Amino acid sequence: MSGKEVTLIIDGREVTATEGEMLHDAAKRGDVEIPVFCYEPKLGDPVGACRMCLVEVEGIPKLQTSCSTPVRDGMVVHTRTEQVKEAQNAVVEFLLVNHPLDCPVCDKGGECPLQDITMGWGPGKSRVTDPKRHFEKPLPLSPLVAIDRERCILCYRCVRFSQEISEDSQLQLLDRGDRTYVGTFDDRPYVAPFHGNITDLCPVGALTSYTYRFRARPWDIEEAGSVCTLCPSQCNVSFTVRDEKVKRVVARDNPEVDDGWICDRGRYGFEMFAAEERVTEPRLKGGAPTDWETAIAKAAAGLRASEIDHTGGGSNSDAPGKVAAIVGDASNEEGFLVQKLLREALHSPHIDSRPSRGATRDALVGLAQPSLTAKVRDIDTADAILVLGTDPLHSSPILDLRIRKAIRRNGAELVVATERPTALDGGANAIARIGPGEARHFLGELTKALGGEETDSLAPLVETLQGAEKIVVVWGERIVRELTGATALLELAQALKIDEADGAGLLEVPDFTNARGLREAGCLPDAGPGLAALGASEAPEAGSTGRSTEEIRNALETGELKSLILFGADPLRDFPDTEAWRRALAAADHLVVFSTFENATTAMADVVLPLETHAEKDGTVTHPDGRLQRVRPSASRPGDIRPGWGVLAELSLALGHDTGVVSQPSAFAALTQEVPFYAGISDAEIGGRGVRWQDRPAASSSPTVGEDAGAPSERFAREEDGPSGDSTSAPHRRVASEEGVPAGSLMLGTYRDLWAGPITELNPPLKFLEPQQQVEMSLADAQRLGLKSGDAVSVAQNGTAVRARVLIKERIAEGVVFLAEGVAEGNANALLNGGPVRVEIEKVAE
Amino acid sequence: MPETRVLLKHAEDPELATLEGYKRHGGYAALEKAYREMEPDEVLGELEDSGLRGRGGAGFAMGKKASFLPRGDMAKYLCCNADESEPGAFKDRELMQRNPHQLIEGIAIAALAADAGHAFIFIRGEYDQQADILDAAVAEAYEAGYLGENILGCRRDLELVVHRGAGAYICGEETALLDALEGKRGNPRLKPPFPAVQGLYGGPTLINNVETLSNVPGIVANGAEWFRGFGTEQSPGTKVVSVSGCVRRPGNYEVELGIPTRELIYDLAGGPEEGHEVKAFYPGGSSSPVLTAADLDLPYSFEAMAEAGSMLGSGSIIVADERVSIPHMALRTARFYHHESCGKCTPCREGTNWTVKMLERMVRGEATPMDLDIVASVQENIIGHCLCVLGDSMAMPVGAMVRKFRDEFEQVMAQAPDTDRIAAVQGAPQTLGAAT
Amino acid sequence: MPELPVDPAVTEGRVPDRSPEAIPELHEVDCPAELRERIEELMGRYPERKSASIPALWAVQRRYGWCTPEGIRQAAAVMRVTPAYLESVASFYDLLHTQPVGSHEVAVCTNISCWMRGGDELLDAFRAAAEGEDVHVTGFECLGACDIAPMASIDRRYFGPLEPGDARAAIEQLTSGGEVLPEKALSKRPLAGGPDA
Ligand SMILES: Cc1cc2nc3c(=O)[nH]c(=O)nc-3n(C[C@H](O)[C@H](O)[C@H](O)COP(=O)(O)O)c2cc1C
Ligand code: SF4
Ligand code: FES
Repeated sequence: MSGKEVTLIIDGREVTATEGEMLHDAAKRGDVEIPVFCYEPKLGDPVGACRMCLVEVEGIPKLQTSCSTPVRDGMVVHTRTEQVKEAQNAVVEFLLVNHPLDCPVCDKGGECPLQDITMGWGPGKSRVTDPKRHFEKPLPLSPLVAIDRERCILCYRCVRFSQEISEDSQLQLLDRGDRTYVGTFDDRPYVAPFHGNITDLCPVGALTSYTYRFRARPWDIEEAGSVCTLCPSQCNVSFTVRDEKVKRVVARDNPEVDDGWICDRGRYGFEMFAAEERVTEPRLKGGAPTDWETAIAKAAAGLRASEIDHTGGGSNSDAPGKVAAIVGDASNEEGFLVQKLLREALHSPHIDSRPSRGATRDALVGLAQPSLTAKVRDIDTADAILVLGTDPLHSSPILDLRIRKAIRRNGAELVVATERPTALDGGANAIARIGPGEARHFLGELTKALGGEETDSLAPLVETLQGAEKIVVVWGERIVRELTGATALLELAQALKIDEADGAGLLEVPDFTNARGLREAGCLPDAGPGLAALGASEAPEAGSTGRSTEEIRNALETGELKSLILFGADPLRDFPDTEAWRRALAAADHLVVFSTFENATTAMADVVLPLETHAEKDGTVTHPDGRLQRVRPSASRPGDIRPGWGVLAELSLALGHDTGVVSQPSAFAALTQEVPFYAGISDAEIGGRGVRWQDRPAASSSPTVGEDAGAPSERFAREEDGPSGDSTSAPHRRVASEEGVPAGSLMLGTYRDLWAGPITELNPPLKFLEPQQQVEMSLADAQRLGLKSGDAVSVAQNGTAVRARVLIKERIAEGVVFLAEGVAEGNANALLNGGPVRVEIEKVAE
Repeated sequence: MPETRVLLKHAEDPELATLEGYKRHGGYAALEKAYREMEPDEVLGELEDSGLRGRGGAGFAMGKKASFLPRGDMAKYLCCNADESEPGAFKDRELMQRNPHQLIEGIAIAALAADAGHAFIFIRGEYDQQADILDAAVAEAYEAGYLGENILGCRRDLELVVHRGAGAYICGEETALLDALEGKRGNPRLKPPFPAVQGLYGGPTLINNVETLSNVPGIVANGAEWFRGFGTEQSPGTKVVSVSGCVRRPGNYEVELGIPTRELIYDLAGGPEEGHEVKAFYPGGSSSPVLTAADLDLPYSFEAMAEAGSMLGSGSIIVADERVSIPHMALRTARFYHHESCGKCTPCREGTNWTVKMLERMVRGEATPMDLDIVASVQENIIGHCLCVLGDSMAMPVGAMVRKFRDEFEQVMAQAPDTDRIAAVQGAPQTLGAAT
Repeated sequence: MPELPVDPAVTEGRVPDRSPEAIPELHEVDCPAELRERIEELMGRYPERKSASIPALWAVQRRYGWCTPEGIRQAAAVMRVTPAYLESVASFYDLLHTQPVGSHEVAVCTNISCWMRGGDELLDAFRAAAEGEDVHVTGFECLGACDIAPMASIDRRYFGPLEPGDARAAIEQLTSGGEVLPEKALSKRPLAGGPDA
């Protein structure tokens, strides 16, 4: 902040404030409330439009708007004088000239700023006898938001959000003067990923959610503060609960995490808590419901069986552990207990928490260095932001807003280097397109270029980055899926001198919400809790390095592994190479699946155990920037669902190992004992805002690079011979223009669409957003193949094919096409096989 | 007493609008002098000494405003305000139509003083013909090297763009003009920051009226003292005054500031028709509180008009003779501001709307005497509470009319003519408020 | 606790009847070449391309007679802004039409000075004369020509002082492509107060 302290007098009270701070905010801290409508600091600079906040400043004849008047030392302010009261009465009376005063039937009633301010600062009676303006009402502004234009007081908050925060610019003011109204182009629906925030912003009942209208009254609801775990952003939310059921989700400002915004996934993705497809009790093969005792016993027996079975096929039957576990959507405690279960109860090292493969322990330790990690706030102050191999809008939406803010308000320079065009390209100073599967190669090239090597194709990027000191790199976990991608990333970080400037750092956008927490809890094949190098662990057999997700899949197929525990993971939907996974799951002797919803994977399970949603769960998660946050139980669990930590404790007990965990707190305690840099974190310390472990003394005991590098680097070596991306290719070269590529053969890139998956399939209000598979391609390729947008095509890769519709996109490079992962029909994961994939595209009948 | 033509000196010459014609009358000599023989600060000093006051409404000293622009090599801008949309004002139209090069020369010189590299003429969209004339003149000026790169080989550049508005009075307000020029809806901005510090595209920006800038060449050519030779101490120079309404020779008259208002209305504009006399007049456009026949002998200057509780504003006189119904005139006035309010701030948006509704009821005879008090207090509630002064621009004249002609309002309300249509003068069928 | 009515939007979900409109890509709008070039040229005039939005809308209006949704989409694609943004701008200004208008435009000033001299009657006369003609007649705020009150702007050229009787002649000349009221054109009017005035 701008720093310097000043003191001023407000209504006779002495108030200290920081220079440049707005009078309204200073007054607030001095417990002087000044009414406002248009002022909302989250929206940026004040606009001074509503005139509700007029106050008297000694020495200035005209009343001043306190929302836009910066404090000065010695200022003397009056907010209660006759002159001010008259102005406030006048403004309230003016606001009501056209307001319908239909409070009794208004959904905002009881939580409406206009109501409150009219009571507190209005004249009490209105002298208006003339007719008010009329609009058809309510109208659907979008399938999720209703607009009542008669109630609108034209504070412009909603349109400012659309223009200056989400920058979708779909919501606009139309017409002029008192005819002005809020609307969209040609009355189209307002469909944009953050648009629900306008219902939080509207100070009257003009914008209301269809999902909440008339579902509760302010006096029979409770607000429960928690964290949204539907994506890695981990935004802070408040659940509006009525009769122990979630009726609404609203933002709970946390500038360290979300800046007070949430995306529409988090806001509207709550009807699914009560979906048909919800797994509400333990089930056995074929889906037959059962009681917990039976389920646990069955699961234990099955796992134990494969654990002691050393006769089964599999070349190295003497290798420790025949059981593997993959953790997806889970809390820190759950992840911690799964790896305990596996390593200590089942003596098996094969655990992972990534969709296919990832960085080695060594690289992860390097990336986890506090000096290299950026916190979300660093984006606000960055000189330059490098978005690397991820589109925040799809993978961590709230970061998209944060980056836009940095550009708009702090003039940050943006460099985008991705396979697919991103939502941020518009604001970028430099853009590079990475050939699918060539991230590692690109990173190498960029590092060299930063080192002074000539590459005209990268010149604009280098220019922007070299001009900057505080650089924040927002990188997608996908790039370290590529062999040695992580080391390449570390080398780039060095070239950018990330660890030297404070306020600079790397910020990961992982594939799973709690990826960082799970890794730090020990859900890695080559690292224990706290990223401890293995061998340090007591359990001898488990001490060795285990298999990565991809290797687990292969080993299940070959029979080297016998059984599998899936915790909050759905390989058949979310992991690459769907067919291989189908074979692997079929081959497994025993499959235990913890899941919130029924899906293709649970259908193959021997035992299905229900999981809580983030509205029901009690536990901690770790933000990609290292912030531990607490997910608090807000709603009741449907059916016979039990807390994950309890089920895991019971299961390992049934396997003859006592975890000593008897409650969520004890689970958390166990975690903090084994993760040195979590040591001593208390629930109180986490509080409502969370705490970054890097900001605590215990951070000093986080592992450092180099130590015990032996085992991992051997893995490195082994990896090097493995399949790898074509390393001769230029960063954003046009794949098709490269000789030797059969005409019509195109490089396939894939991405995870924001709306792909259960979120749109299980929440009726979001159903209209369910993505249909589209193959995105350049105009040139489409013309070459005689295709136009909307054509039905098949996208094939030796043998396997998916159906899609053509979508021509200007910004897509020739020779590359993109398909979405995780969609219900034509999921791109079916075509992926761990290496670069070329596809043939053919027009098919409708 | 005759006019004192300076800005309109050669305006009778149809050739004046061309570069050749303009140069024949000594055009662009001031620009040559300023660029070749003077330091930017000398030019600025000349303008400050001249005491030239803004002709767009506020009457702020032009040179002083130019001196507010920070020095340094950030991009600076100059905007010529040619939005002239205030009822009663049509002087800028005349100046641009008859003497476009005088304005262009003034802009080029002012840009030198303000160190602006980019200039814009924001002309109201309705002035299509005048904009065409400006376009042609600007092209000629570029041709002749008075605009563009390296002007007169003095290593100074100036880009000048004629930007046509699209019909919105509010765009005349300087900050709304900036938003409009940036391609947005023409909404006024909060001040501070003032345009001189943070204006167009966030850069320091000098905004001046057409007439103000048209005065610049004369000042630079003949010196500040020469300029001060016209007008009064506080209102130096000549002023092109638009006189309209109930007068026989409506038109633009250029006079020294400070001459008796009566001379403007009677001697120059011919006064009301035979047998009629002045009842009220707006001395400075429709936003100025109306004065009455009693004020006819006031000197026509910024200071005298302010003293009389009104203002000289843009220098536009609208005369109403005794046949004009003041309540109807108040309604016309209110309707204009209601239609033109941008809608951004509450008191202006709702106050203009509410006022119109009440005045309409009055002239329709559907109002009660209490409404008259409400109208009055609503004007009070608007004044000083708005984001810009558009709201005040309605509240001040309407308030003044209610104050000064209260009994006429009561009479109209009682008469219940059941129409808000009023044609005064020229074969008026039903003439209201007058002895019919 | 009585159950409150649940909006079907919650149980069934709503489906939008039309598609949303973000920034259209050029190949989606097939913008006439000359319109595209014009707008690109306009954008080049300003330090920031968005400044060209009003000129661009003028260009659209010139091309299509009014700011048609399609025309707005085309301009939006060229300017890389949302159509909503341009519609918002267009709807703010009186001279940009977001509804169809005739191929000729007559704006009759009804503001104070013209009103005093018969502007309302003039407007009536023009409305009557334009009956059934392809001419868009509107009352208008002060056009900045009170010296020729009552006056009208006919296809963006000023004429006055006018008598109600002039309306019919003007409309006929307009629709027959003839020169409109030559002797009443502002451009031909001498300076007030001059010798020949
Ligand atoms: C509602 C409103 C409308 C205005 N219209 C005009 C106008 O049409 N022309 C003009 O020159 N100034 C107009 N002004 C004054 C400008 O804001 C500004 O003061 C002026 O252009 C400065 O130029 P000057 O100092 O040369 O007068 C208007 C002000 C307001 C509040
Ligand atoms: S809809 Fe609500 S948020 Fe939007 S302008 Fe109106 S009152 Fe403000
Ligand atoms: S809150 Fe200050 S003007 Fe609206």
